This record gives sequence, structure tokens and C-alpha cells, in this order.
Amino acid sequence: MPDESANNEELPAALVDALKAGDRTPPTITAGIDRAVTAMARSHFRDRQPSWRRRGSWAALAASVGLIAVVASQVGGPLLRDRADPYGDVDGSGRIDIADVFALARSEQATVTQADLDAFAMRVVSIKAGATR
Amino acid sequence: MARVRRQDPRSDEALVEVCNEGDAREAAEAFEALYRRHTDYVLRVALRFVPDTDTALDVLQETFAYLLRRFPPTGEGLELTAKLTTLLYPVAKNNAITALRKAGRWEPSGDVLPDDLPAPEPADSDDLQKVLGALPQGQREVLQLRFVDDLPLNEISEVLGIPLGTVKSRLHLGVARLKSSDFAKSLRGD
Repeated sequence: MPDESANNEELPAALVDALKAGDRTPPTITAGIDRAVTAMARSHFRDRQPSWRRRGSWAALAASVGLIAVVASQVGGPLLRDRADPYGDVDGSGRIDIADVFALARSEQATVTQADLDAFAMRVVSIKAGATR
Repeated sequence: MARVRRQDPRSDEALVEVCNEGDAREAAEAFEALYRRHTDYVLRVALRFVPDTDTALDVLQETFAYLLRRFPPTGEGLELTAKLTTLLYPVAKNNAITALRKAGRWEPSGDVLPDDLPAPEPADSDDLQKVLGALPQGQREVLQLRFVDDLPLNEISEVLGIPLGTVKSRLHLGVARLKSSDFAKSLRGD
């Protein structure tokens, strides 16, 4: 039986080589972007526990997240919004989200460290949690 | 995250499983390994749609942010039934199109054209990029997935979410047009 997914269209090798050569070379990734992805992943998974500890702890986790969200909205929000905060709406989109973490990482500020990005990414996640609960 | 770091020897499936189930440190490391492994692919896909590297970097970030959201606690987790690139391609493409739309630079072309039309006249150019640029987007995309990414037709069908027959007809038309272009003739020495 013929393979329905088989490719019956061929190109001369020189054309295939030209197509491959024409595929644009990716730009160099800066350390800032790598750091931003690291921060994003760490903040996303930060509450994970070993599976044996995760079982049966959903209620406690939900309560903790809710409490953090309430505290963040009552205490952190206004104070953070009232001052000139380099870790806020960096890209000027009108909202604070993970894109701001990337924007900060891609900025030319040599002073931005992994710890800064980790803290900012965690704050973004806290803001989102508060907004959706 | 240093780019010189050694490649993680685990398969994509194993890394995805750790992202689904691992503890905080394991999951973050597994995700970073997936990011390092597929960064160049996502950027190459992005650059097929967007004109500049800054936008491509935005697409890269949005694509991996999307992937991350698929894992708990925000997502249900992933079960890989095909290559991870089969998932990443449409996400990167959609993010690229969204970026172009935001910039007012998206012009849908190939996907709205009938696929069973005979191949049009070849682009009068000996520059491959111009020949490709003159193809309907759907044909160009299938050509790149088949001959640059080396995907079999059934995977192209899955990646693009179109029937296998449509993939074959687009490939047929794209190949015909490419072969009859001035660029191909110059390669043959005609």
C-alpha cells in the first residue's frame, strides 16, 4: 500500500541547499533574555514541591495563594504604583506582565541582575494571581 | 543562563514530563533545557514571518511564555504526541502574525488563494528570496517545512492544521514554480 504521507515532490539538491542557506540565521540571544526566561520559569514553578508533598496539600496551597493575593492587593499595590518603579510597566503597555520582565532584561541597564529579574517575575505572577481570584 | 552550557541529554518527552510533575528546581531546569534546545528553531520560524530581529525576539519570548503557561499551576500540563516543534511552530507563527498585525504590517495572502490553480508564471528573478517572496504564503510555508525543516508531509499537515491533500497540492505548486524560476535556471546554468 502506498504511503499517503510520502513526499513525491522533489527538488534538485542545489535548490534545497539554496533554500536552507536562505533561511535567515537567528540573531544572537543576549544574556538578558536568557535571564528573563530563567526568571519566568523559576517564578512559574516556585511553589512546586516534591510529588509526595504535593498530594493532599491543594487546600493549603490555595489558601496561601489567596492570602498572598489579598496582601499584595492591599499593601503592595498602591505603594508600588505611587513611586517611580523601574520594575513596573517597563514596556508602557498599560499593564504589568511577563513582557515587562523581558523588556527589563533586554534593556541596556547593566545593573539588572538575575535576583532583580526573579523578584520582578514573582511580583508579576502575584499581581496576576490577585487579578484572577 | 550561559549559552555554552552543555546540552541536556534528556529527550523532549522526558523534559516535558519533569515540567509537568517535577519539583520547583527540577521543573525550572527542565524548562530552561527545552528553551535552550528550541530557541534557534523558534527564531528561524519567527524570521520567516517578521522582518526584523527585535520582533523575532519578542515572538521567541511570547512563544516560551505560552509554553510555560501550559504547565501547572496555570495549565493542565502537556502530553507530547508529536515532536515539540509541531507545537512550537504554530505558536511562533501565530505570535509573529499577531506582532505584524499590531504593527499594521500583516497582509494575508496564500492561505486565501485556491490551491488547485495551475502554477502561475514564475517570478522573474534570479534572487531566491524574491522568488519565495512572490509565492503565496501557503506554498512558501510548505516548501520551507518540507525542504528546510525536513518534515514529512503528515507532520506538515499537523503543524499547519490543514488536510494532507492541501499540503500535497501546495507543495506541488510551490515546487513547480520554484523549478521554473530564473533562480533555478541560473543554478542549472541555462
